[in-house]
Amino acid sequence: MNNLNGIKDKIQLSRRNFLVGSVGASLLMAFSVLPGKSMAENAKKALAGKIFSPNVWFEINERGEVLINIAKAEIGQHIGTALARIVADELGADWSKVRIVHVDTDPKWGYMVTGGSWSVFHSFTPLSQAGAAGRIALLEAGAVLLGKNGNECEVINGYVKCGEKSISFGDIVSKGQFNRIFTVEELAALPIKSGKNRQFIGKDTMALDIPSKTNGTAKYGIDVEVDGMVYARPIVPPSRYGNSITKVNDKKAVNIPGYLGYEILNDPSETLQGWVCVLATSYYSAIKAGDAIVVSYKKSPATKVSEEQIQIEGEKLTRDKNAGNLFVDDGNVEQATLEAKINLEASYRTASLLHFPLEPVNATVEFIDDVCHIHTGNQWQSLTMPLIAKALNVTQEKIVMHQYYLGGGFGRRLFGDYIIPAVLTAKAYGKPIKMVFTREDDSRFSPPRSPSVQLFNASVDAKNNVTGIEHAFAAGWPTLSMAPQFMFESLDKKGKIDPFSSNGADHWYTLDNHRVRAINNKLAQDTFLPGWLRSVGPGWLCWGVESFMDEIAIATNKDPIDFRLSLLDGRGKNAGTAPVSNHGALRLANVLKKVRSQSNWGGELGENEGMGVAITYGQERTMPTWIACVAHVHVNKSNGKVTVKKLSLTVDCGTVIHPDGALAQVEGGVLWGLSLALHEGNEIKKGQISKTNLDTYTPLRMGDVPELDIQFIESDEISVGLGEPGVVTVAPAIANAIAQATGVRLRSLPMRPDDIIQFLKERESNKIG
Amino acid sequence: MIEFILNGKKVSTKVPDDTPLLWVIRDEFHLKGTKFGCGISMCGACTVHIDGDPVRACKYPVKLVNKKQITTIEGLNNEHPLQEAWIKEQVPQCGYCQSGQIMQAATLLASNKDPSEKEIVAHMSNNLCRCMAYSRIKKAIKTAANSTSETVSIFDPALNGQKEI
Ligand code: FES
Ligand code: FES
Repeated sequence: MNNLNGIKDKIQLSRRNFLVGSVGASLLMAFSVLPGKSMAENAKKALAGKIFSPNVWFEINERGEVLINIAKAEIGQHIGTALARIVADELGADWSKVRIVHVDTDPKWGYMVTGGSWSVFHSFTPLSQAGAAGRIALLEAGAVLLGKNGNECEVINGYVKCGEKSISFGDIVSKGQFNRIFTVEELAALPIKSGKNRQFIGKDTMALDIPSKTNGTAKYGIDVEVDGMVYARPIVPPSRYGNSITKVNDKKAVNIPGYLGYEILNDPSETLQGWVCVLATSYYSAIKAGDAIVVSYKKSPATKVSEEQIQIEGEKLTRDKNAGNLFVDDGNVEQATLEAKINLEASYRTASLLHFPLEPVNATVEFIDDVCHIHTGNQWQSLTMPLIAKALNVTQEKIVMHQYYLGGGFGRRLFGDYIIPAVLTAKAYGKPIKMVFTREDDSRFSPPRSPSVQLFNASVDAKNNVTGIEHAFAAGWPTLSMAPQFMFESLDKKGKIDPFSSNGADHWYTLDNHRVRAINNKLAQDTFLPGWLRSVGPGWLCWGVESFMDEIAIATNKDPIDFRLSLLDGRGKNAGTAPVSNHGALRLANVLKKVRSQSNWGGELGENEGMGVAITYGQERTMPTWIACVAHVHVNKSNGKVTVKKLSLTVDCGTVIHPDGALAQVEGGVLWGLSLALHEGNEIKKGQISKTNLDTYTPLRMGDVPELDIQFIESDEISVGLGEPGVVTVAPAIANAIAQATGVRLRSLPMRPDDIIQFLKERESNKIG
Repeated sequence: MIEFILNGKKVSTKVPDDTPLLWVIRDEFHLKGTKFGCGISMCGACTVHIDGDPVRACKYPVKLVNKKQITTIEGLNNEHPLQEAWIKEQVPQCGYCQSGQIMQAATLLASNKDPSEKEIVAHMSNNLCRCMAYSRIKKAIKTAANSTSETVSIFDPALNGQKEI
């Protein structure tokens, strides 16, 4: 979800002045809290009073240590390290003296605070400028102290050097006085290093958060303890909305040692509907009590809804030409259909899925002097804070969120709905509480990725060329429920579209006639809360787009790579725009050609083996990460088991800030993609996902890891995100490889051995028949 | 009262004896490195050593540890070759599973100085890493094995500390 947060970050950092001032014994630097000209008059005063944007600020102390403070979530992407490298590079710091501090929110900042995975893409320029401003301030002060002229000096490795003489950052800070404001215009005019002059960016380093994650000292939300706290566990109602409690019977719980009682939660924000929380002196007692208490509900109609019903509704919607809103409308699809020699049609599905971050959601809450202190891991405080304020019926100034490491996010921790039961229970019970969801509680409450249906129609002319594609898709939309302010007006002005559930359909293939309809599946929306899951829309839309591209290639007797290349001509809207999508579709063509040789495409394969290809431009057209993937698979025709032997990927993400970290991100993403393709799927039964723990939900394990060959394009282009795009190409590449190996075309995710067997059997009986 | 040796120190607890060891370690002795992931022995985040064997603490009733020696990630004291290898190979992403991964891997190296790829996978396949850092986990185990090909010493403070108690 770096895109969503990216928007936030951009709002926060662009058009801001930069403050440099001495505070106490340190030199502090930060972006001003107010945008544009309405700046703080006095940098020192503003910094001392913490009136600055808390997103990133840094300080240099008398020992010359550079402390980079980041008010953001570390979910395993080592983002703190990447951001610190950008600042440190421009600053001219000595890397061994750079430290990262993850800061708490401060009531003074109110809801200025943005959590969330800070996308390097949106922060690269402001952070480079901030580092450069710091460098200039240090250089000028250092020159004065050395009795030299600024232009005779340079900044290297934590020192200002003027010819023979030099002075360390530490000495400059302790001897100099700073009070300076860089305006937006001055910042923009600062010289930023070019690729080859960079010292840290593009070079490997040890991520700063890793050592604490090898010895048990990394502190996650679940590790928090506060004085006088008791333990709590929620009793999650049978579905998300519309359940009301008719009776609570705790007769079987009263004899459990440590059981303290329960609270029925009334939530003015209506995030929780029909919730009870159990209290106990130990968490184990809370677990047992939660199991023992019997809650009776007046159940919501949603508790009768199944996945199949939602998908049937999706099928119906995609076939209804009046359903949904126009997302893409180029040329004239009807005309193309009429003139076509062949029409091709295919419909693809994906099943519900869970994020399943390994740390179950939790929050520890205490009220101190009327202020609600929340200890938890959350990715997007500015989305969550208003909700908590509503639930508690207080202003946001009365809430402080303390940030910890996140034991996985994948989009689950963007929305802080799991904090609500904790704050309401603490308020009702009048004591600090630590609320932990068991794994089953967490799964049942978690907003799953919505099941989806997408329908494609292609027209092919007499010359065997594809002339148009019509594409319609239906799913539940996360943004509609959780952040409707990010929805945008459709082309036909019929209504709003969830951008994060549509990105991926507006691809970079040049098609004269192309129409895309985005449809909200209301049955899905009303049954459960759809979640943003790592890679969001592209995660399931690319599965349809890239499978269908392969089907067209096969139907027109073309090599799947040649066919794609013929549509990636970089013409018209696919030419791209500098700087973000410089060269447009041609960069996609480039990674595709690279992966062709990297994977030995077309080389000899063993029996029942196949290779399949898929490409993606990542999360959105305005922030493209160009990726091509080839999967090499083996299919066991007697039991339907698919073994992925190798995944080869070529990635163009512009400038790579932290190569090893980037590789780790893509490795994780690719294996996620593999897990979603073959191992997951969590169907909704009775209004809730049906697999709540690892005895039934079976993500990828070490034994299923194939050989990975991931290569990055060397590039000076602007740096873009990597947390998500690695996921998306894997499923369609595998499906396409299975089709090549066996002729079996799978159109439903996850791909199950049974589906393959079924298909082979039908083919066999057709032959005989 | 149940008595046992936790990272070399003699300790006792009075919690109900069906309480899983995990909660005793985490909430009574405040050693938070051992994690809660699934609660049903299926993820390995809670892995500790009991008399040198890897055990899922989330399902292990505390009454069974009476007089036994427990080692948690904290008990490795930052001295285990696997911890060094984990940093060298930059294994952790979110890091939540990693205490369990390291504790599980440590019991492999204790009995097998130079495990093959297959042996590593067989030994580690019940430990889930949701961030899917599997390739690096594998690599780091090999790195640690190579770095200590002479003697694989599994650091167990319980063995050192026991005499003094
Ligand atoms: S928490 Fe014990 S195995 Fe998952
Ligand atoms: S590093 Fe996140 S679960 Fe393994």
